[in-house]
Amino acid sequence: MEAQKKTFPDRAALIAHVKSLSPGHDGEPVSDMVGGRIAAEAALAQIDPIAYGASRNYLDGAVTRLSPYIRHGILSLNEVRNHALQMGDDKAVEKFIQELGWRDFWQRIYAQNPDWLWADIEDYKTGFVASDYADELPDDIANGETDSAAMNHFIAELKTTGYLHNHARMYLAAYIVHWRRIKWQAGAAFFLAHLLDGDPASNNFSFQWVASTFANKPYFFNLDNLQKLHAGPVRLSQQ
Amino acid sequence: MMPPLIWLHEDCLRASHNLFDHAPEAKAVFIWDDAYMNAMHYGLKRRVFIYESLCQLPVEIYAGDTATSLAQLAQDGRDIITGKTANPALKAIMAIMRENAKLSAIADVPFVQMDSPPDLRRFFKYWNKAKKHAFSYDGRP
Repeated sequence: MEAQKKTFPDRAALIAHVKSLSPGHDGEPVSDMVGGRIAAEAALAQIDPIAYGASRNYLDGAVTRLSPYIRHGILSLNEVRNHALQMGDDKAVEKFIQELGWRDFWQRIYAQNPDWLWADIEDYKTGFVASDYADELPDDIANGETDSAAMNHFIAELKTTGYLHNHARMYLAAYIVHWRRIKWQAGAAFFLAHLLDGDPASNNFSFQWVASTFANKPYFFNLDNLQKLHAGPVRLSQQ
Repeated sequence: MMPPLIWLHEDCLRASHNLFDHAPEAKAVFIWDDAYMNAMHYGLKRRVFIYESLCQLPVEIYAGDTATSLAQLAQDGRDIITGKTANPALKAIMAIMRENAKLSAIADVPFVQMDSPPDLRRFFKYWNKAKKHAFSYDGRP
């Protein structure tokens, strides 16, 4: 067996090599987020867990973008938590560490119940049953050509960068499941194809939380929330 | 005695992962498995991210079916050490490898160490128990 190359003159050469190993993916975009421990440590050094607690719900808030590195074990939850503990007292970093807890929570469920990954854990609490939802993601969502400018903005960001703010994920997931009445599984597969941090457990169980198949009620959003949390010129609808 | 083979998979791409402590001199490999990545819905963005991560690790990359490639790399009877994961696709490959080799899956350092399993029916049932340790260095009780 012949080992693959690990040194390249530049990123373009590395990308070309990955394309050669990935038939059918040649025309897809590549994220500006760079993989590897060096970039991960640089991102960890930049985090502000105290500001995160105050502004994480805003689409331009102090999020950390550590998730792709945590997803693939490049950073451990343990070292990220230990780093945060050095930056403020427990109360100040509570929200940040609680978010790390979500990752641990989903992984524990995943280990106990791998069959839940693509199956409805509970019934929908939306007044509809699973068969009322479409199986496939429509092309207008896959292509970011819906009649909602906000959703098109999120879809374009997802496909280009491989990253979406947590609230943008929730809005887009809710739009897919509740506004368009599409099965959460179709949305989850779409996210996994594009998110750099897409983890089967965190992604799919969060989709089930939005859909209400792993929550007491469905997650909805409204225009007021979207405008409040986004500082940019995103509108909910082009009309 | 032959040194074991370290199988690094996509959930443990860190040189400080515990699994390296179990065989510090062992050769580490990653199998670039196109069919696996398609089954995981991974597009080019994710693939580049993973490959970039591998380039900074003490690991050799081989392209092919994971189970077949690992069997070939460990055909001299050496043990296999890998990272513990919840991923059923990777667990299935581990089960195949165990048919003909001794394979050990080493857990990462835990986020919290609890003396009994938490209630996982809803997040806050878990968190009310986990937070007693989550604010301790190394998640120690």
